[in-house]
Amino acid sequence: MEEKYGGDARAGPGGGLGPVDVPSARLTKYIVLLCLTKCLKAVGLFESYDLLKAVHIVQFIFILKLGTAFFMVLFQKPFSSGKTITKHQWIKIFKHAVAGCIISLLWFFGLTLCGPLRTLLLFEHSDIVVISLLSVLFTSSGGGPAKTRGAAFFIIAVICLLLFDNDDLMAKMAEHPEGHHDSALTHMLYTAIAFLGVADHKGGVLLLALALCCKVGFHTASRKLSVDVGGPKRLQALSQLVSVFLLCPWVIVLSVTTQSKVESWFSLIVPFTTVIFFVMILDFYMDSICSVKMEVSKCARYGSFPIFISALLFGNFWTHPITDQLRAVNRAAHQEGTEHVLSGGVVVSAVFFILSANILSSPSKRGQKGTLIGYSPEGTPLYHFMGDAFQHSSQSIPRFIKESLKQILEESDSRQIFYFLCLNLLFTFVELFYGVLTNSLGLISDGFHMLFDCSALVMGLFAALMSRWKATRIFSYGYGRIEILSGFINGLFLIVIAFFVFMESVARLIDPPELDTNMLTPVSIGGLIVNLIGICAFSHAHSHGHGTSQGHCHSSDHGHSHHTHGHGDHGHSHGFTGGGMNANMRDTLGSIGVIVSTVLIEQFGWFIADPLCSLFIAVLIFLSVIPLIKDACQVLLLRLPPEYEKELHIALEKIQKIEGLISYRDPHFWRHSANIIAGTIHIQVTSDVLEQRIVQQVTGILKDAGVNNLTIQVEKEAYFQHMSGLSTGFHDVLAMTKQMESMKYCKDGTYIM
Amino acid sequence: MGTIHLFRKPQRSFFGKLLQEFRLVAADRRSWKILLFGAVNVLCTGFLLMWCSSTNSIALTAYTYLTIFDLFSLITCLISYWVMMRKPSPAYSFGFERLEVLAVFASTVLAQLGALFILKESAERFLDQPEIHTGRLLVGTFVALSFNLFTMLSIRNKPFAYVSEAASTSWLQEHVADLSRSVCGIIPGLSSIFLPRMNPFVLIDLAGAFALCITYMLIEINNYFAVDTASAIAIALMTFGTMYPMSVYSGKVLLQTTPPHVIGQLDKLIREVSTLDGVLEVRNEHFWTLGFGSLAGSVHVRIRRDANEQMVLAHVTNRLYTLVSTLTVQIFKDDWIRPALLSGPVASNALNFSDHHIIPMPLLKNVDDRIPVTSTPAKPSSPPPEFSFNTPGKNVSPVILLNTQTRPYGLGLSRGHTPYSSVLGQGLAVPGVGAGQGLRPTFPHVPSRYGNNRTGQPRP
Repeated sequence: MEEKYGGDARAGPGGGLGPVDVPSARLTKYIVLLCLTKCLKAVGLFESYDLLKAVHIVQFIFILKLGTAFFMVLFQKPFSSGKTITKHQWIKIFKHAVAGCIISLLWFFGLTLCGPLRTLLLFEHSDIVVISLLSVLFTSSGGGPAKTRGAAFFIIAVICLLLFDNDDLMAKMAEHPEGHHDSALTHMLYTAIAFLGVADHKGGVLLLALALCCKVGFHTASRKLSVDVGGPKRLQALSQLVSVFLLCPWVIVLSVTTQSKVESWFSLIVPFTTVIFFVMILDFYMDSICSVKMEVSKCARYGSFPIFISALLFGNFWTHPITDQLRAVNRAAHQEGTEHVLSGGVVVSAVFFILSANILSSPSKRGQKGTLIGYSPEGTPLYHFMGDAFQHSSQSIPRFIKESLKQILEESDSRQIFYFLCLNLLFTFVELFYGVLTNSLGLISDGFHMLFDCSALVMGLFAALMSRWKATRIFSYGYGRIEILSGFINGLFLIVIAFFVFMESVARLIDPPELDTNMLTPVSIGGLIVNLIGICAFSHAHSHGHGTSQGHCHSSDHGHSHHTHGHGDHGHSHGFTGGGMNANMRDTLGSIGVIVSTVLIEQFGWFIADPLCSLFIAVLIFLSVIPLIKDACQVLLLRLPPEYEKELHIALEKIQKIEGLISYRDPHFWRHSANIIAGTIHIQVTSDVLEQRIVQQVTGILKDAGVNNLTIQVEKEAYFQHMSGLSTGFHDVLAMTKQMESMKYCKDGTYIM
Repeated sequence: MGTIHLFRKPQRSFFGKLLQEFRLVAADRRSWKILLFGAVNVLCTGFLLMWCSSTNSIALTAYTYLTIFDLFSLITCLISYWVMMRKPSPAYSFGFERLEVLAVFASTVLAQLGALFILKESAERFLDQPEIHTGRLLVGTFVALSFNLFTMLSIRNKPFAYVSEAASTSWLQEHVADLSRSVCGIIPGLSSIFLPRMNPFVLIDLAGAFALCITYMLIEINNYFAVDTASAIAIALMTFGTMYPMSVYSGKVLLQTTPPHVIGQLDKLIREVSTLDGVLEVRNEHFWTLGFGSLAGSVHVRIRRDANEQMVLAHVTNRLYTLVSTLTVQIFKDDWIRPALLSGPVASNALNFSDHHIIPMPLLKNVDDRIPVTSTPAKPSSPPPEFSFNTPGKNVSPVILLNTQTRPYGLGLSRGHTPYSSVLGQGLAVPGVGAGQGLRPTFPHVPSRYGNNRTGQPRP
């Protein structure tokens, strides 16, 4: 990354309009060399896969490190040139070597697990690609939609490798025919993968993904050390040397205790040299040269393409006789022709990897994030950068959760909902866990149903939380209305659920399935218990609740997906309708319905009882939701609140009788949220009364009628004259004159004009 | 699902009304076309659902939900025709414009809930992948695609067109715009189609059909049944992406929020209002959109005790009226009752007319703290009358500079009558009448002054 920023800084001031680049002709030879090295690296990796079949992995790494260290010490002369290395730095180099060993161990182990092709696809990503991938995934400002797309491609590619890659050999390997592994280390890794419950090649994919992240972190962390020591090459040479010494005792112990599978080490010299040169030395030097000569992003882009393509080609042709020239070992192994072959999934994922490497390595265009605000006096465009400023102010997620929890627990009704939600979630997870344990698909899918239903509860809780936020410029009345909107959404949710339950039960009514009921009873009884607790909680909440309380309840009386879809539901009620208890009663009825149908099925074998019961529940949900939705709709449509209708009529009549008042127009009264009734009214008075007195009187009357957010416009005849003087539009004038005339006719006698 | 909208008004008596309203809408020729499309849609959806169950493909089900969403959008279109014909009733005093918004909100939320359901189903299917029959998969895809595109392009759906224009860009659109920007770099002619952003509905229809084609291909070639689930998830996520900005936009309208894009203009207007002569502070301003587009609002304006309420009201209304069509302005004064309680001598003194009496009062700070929602800083307010009367020398105090710009001094003094006339009320009948008549001569000045209101306000 440092080199990249350096490169940008160099390009920036020189260029007037675009980044100045080195002429491409001068870069061509580097690019060609880079491509060539990458292809050779692919060859080296295929070679090393063949080698690893014969040689133990630790021995392999040891020989690799030994050879690399030998050549690098020869080339770099780390001891004779440069400044001396302190003791502190030696310790750091030691750590560097340990980390390097672990990563190469993971890498080559992954290679043995999933073959060279997949290893190349997964592991050969440059740091910049992985870093931009991680920044897209874990920070909000990834760098525009293109980067997001790149990250999505990367993930799709990994998923393709995991799911759609039906490698025959890998499935065979997963059976562990040999039953015993070469060493304690590999055995440990195998058991770890087996513990994850995935096949070996999938374990290898995961392992390689992990190793890739480790590698990037390792490179980033070692950058400072390399500057201290005197260049990455010197660090590399020293670190390889140290790791040779590290691995030395292990290799000795290994070679003493186990008998080697290798017949003659002499015949392996040539393949080992090719691997050392292609995989370690050539690649390392080429990378360091290219990172100096070119931008890192360009380097990554040109590097990734040839390596993936050549990996695909070799993957197809490696066992083919054509490549026999390239193969140094195991020439007789033609019978294993199906080993880690190409499959559709691999090709697709290779395409996605190439695309994502291309997108992620392209330099992010910072300028696109700003918005053009104008031009400077010199004529250069000025941009306004918003994203970074916002990013700094956003608080961390744990803190946000902590604060919201605190807010939730502060008030009694939201606390009740929260506890109920926790209870529901607990029930769900017990169900899911038990389902996984007993491998009962019905229980698992019922758990998903519950999770689906809990989302409504979460939304209600969040709305209750938000409704307490302070009013802002945009939400000028406060956030109270969110509760009503969430009630509306909850209503829609229930309708959708009722609809699906209805459809399902109709389908079952036509073709009633056989089902086994042994799991149904405990689940439905559990649901009933959860519901009864809910009833207790809510009756408590409602007795204390005032106008704003909001009941959510949820019954968990789903049967299995193969049984009654008795979703109970989460009733949501506005406090002012007081329907919370009804909703809970309904849930309980639903639970009881499920239990009854279970009993009927168990005792009499009436399988028809199950869909009938579902049908009944669906209709019940639907009928009980309708008033809920109707109320929410009326509030959202700014209807005159029905419960205040009478009082407001009386109040308006009273207003008419105020002394000096001619008439009123545009009376708007609506419920904004549970505790805000807003109103606006225009009042015309004679010119001799005091406006403020009228305002006071009208406010008093309307406050008594329940309106608590009031705006009164008091107009005299003078106002209309002013307006007609100021008025810009013809229609406005017309309307105003009409108003004036009406005023004149209205109180002709007392009118003082 | 199609019946949900019909049942929104559930009472039995409503059915008759509903029929009546329906006849009202059906009288319009344009709605015939919509009804025709709706009928075809129901037929089409029925077939698609049948094919969904025969192919057992959840991706096709997810795509069918888009067709059902189309049905909702047609219903929304009908509702918008109905809204145009309806006048406000006493109960729904703002009219039925918001019904349109509510319909848009409900249909987008329903689409998202359907997508959520699909997500849940596909999570279950990942555990136990059933076999997919590709027989009618491609047929269903193309029937749904062609029908959706035909509906989208041939019916002018005003509310949805507005929302899709006004709502923020969905991630799908963003990606397509980003891609097509590079494509248009190669073929400039395409920019008219793809840029700046595509119609979200057309986009999601095409993208969903594309996902289904891939599914078909992979299942045909390799029997990768998991692709079906994956593409169902993709379609569900795209549905979320497309519908979410729209439901946020319409939901914000329903929540009575100030639309962010007018805040700049509103701020400017309120700043103008707060510099009007006599205005001390603007507070409790609530501006919100009534339907799609028209703004409603109410505002409280605190004015100086000696300012003419009707004059200020007219000016404030006139300024805000350009943006806010349904406006209510409440004018209020502190301590308005006090001068009325004082007797005659004060009234004669009032003719002296001292403009400036500015001493910050702790009492008013309290008032300001109590109501935090003000956009304009509170100006220092009127002190007790003892300071204002008989102390013309106070005019020179430096604090006055705050207000002097708005005050053409001589004009106010040369006019014979007092702004207090309105405050004093019935007690002083003669100046009260004068207020009404004295204004007449000022009218010719008004338009010319209106143009450069910052420098010279017409004073009564």
